[in-house]
Amino acid sequence: MSKSAMAVQPSRLSQLWHKWRFHINVLLLLIPLGFMPKYFSDQALFRGDSGLGEREIGEVQVGPWSLRLAEFRNLPPQPDGAAGYLKGFSAALCDACIEPVKATYLRIGKPRSLRAAGSLFFGTPYSMGTQLPVPEKTKADAELWITMEGWDGSMHQASIPLSQASPATVAWLNKQGAKQ
Amino acid sequence: MNPALRPSRLSAVLLVLCAGFSASALAHNPMCECKAIDAEQIKCTGGFSDGSGAPGVTLDVIGYDETILVPGKLGADSTLTFKKPGAEFYVLFDAGPGHVVEIDQADIEAP
Repeated sequence: MSKSAMAVQPSRLSQLWHKWRFHINVLLLLIPLGFMPKYFSDQALFRGDSGLGEREIGEVQVGPWSLRLAEFRNLPPQPDGAAGYLKGFSAALCDACIEPVKATYLRIGKPRSLRAAGSLFFGTPYSMGTQLPVPEKTKADAELWITMEGWDGSMHQASIPLSQASPATVAWLNKQGAKQ
Repeated sequence: MNPALRPSRLSAVLLVLCAGFSASALAHNPMCECKAIDAEQIKCTGGFSDGSGAPGVTLDVIGYDETILVPGKLGADSTLTFKKPGAEFYVLFDAGPGHVVEIDQADIEAP
């Protein structure tokens, strides 16, 4: 019997692998390219190159001050375990407000006090962010209240309808009808 | 050398493990839950959404007229039990500015 006939025949899988391994590896290198557009649009959003957020709400006057408000993502509130549903908003203070404003808060419904003024905006005044808790039983006609506190102790408030601030959130609330 | 322990294979396994167990960015939003344990007592539990407790964090019971009815701090087990006030009230879990949770008396579950 010849020597070659005694050699073990490679399995079919092994044959396939040896034939196509180069092509399969090139495919593996190509997969990340499919995620590139989302990656670059996310990076532009995080850096602020594509604006304050995915959906600009506009300029809101709060007493003598004003701020530009935006939805960070044009999405309904996202769940965060036992902390409930949170919705991300971004804001930029007006140029004249950067010095005198100490803190900016966001809340659904009128705050009872400055202590309970809601979630605090953090970050650079040119692009601040906050995660606003949205109770599931929030009424669709609720108002979003902005509270601004100055270093001089003054406090100013303004409100806009939630439907203007985040149509995605209102659509989500309407869908939860049974829980209201 | 045992082929299973070849350096290239070992680093591939390590890479997968590192990616799988990397600390993802965990938010830690405040959370608070209050329940009436009987007709007189209310028990509130505070914490953060990353699973950490909140021992020593301020939890005040405040009247609708903004007077503080029960100034309290959460115990070592992140809970506080207090006597239900006679007046209308809400509970404020206060872990610092912007890190507050309000619970209205209407939202406190009956025993």
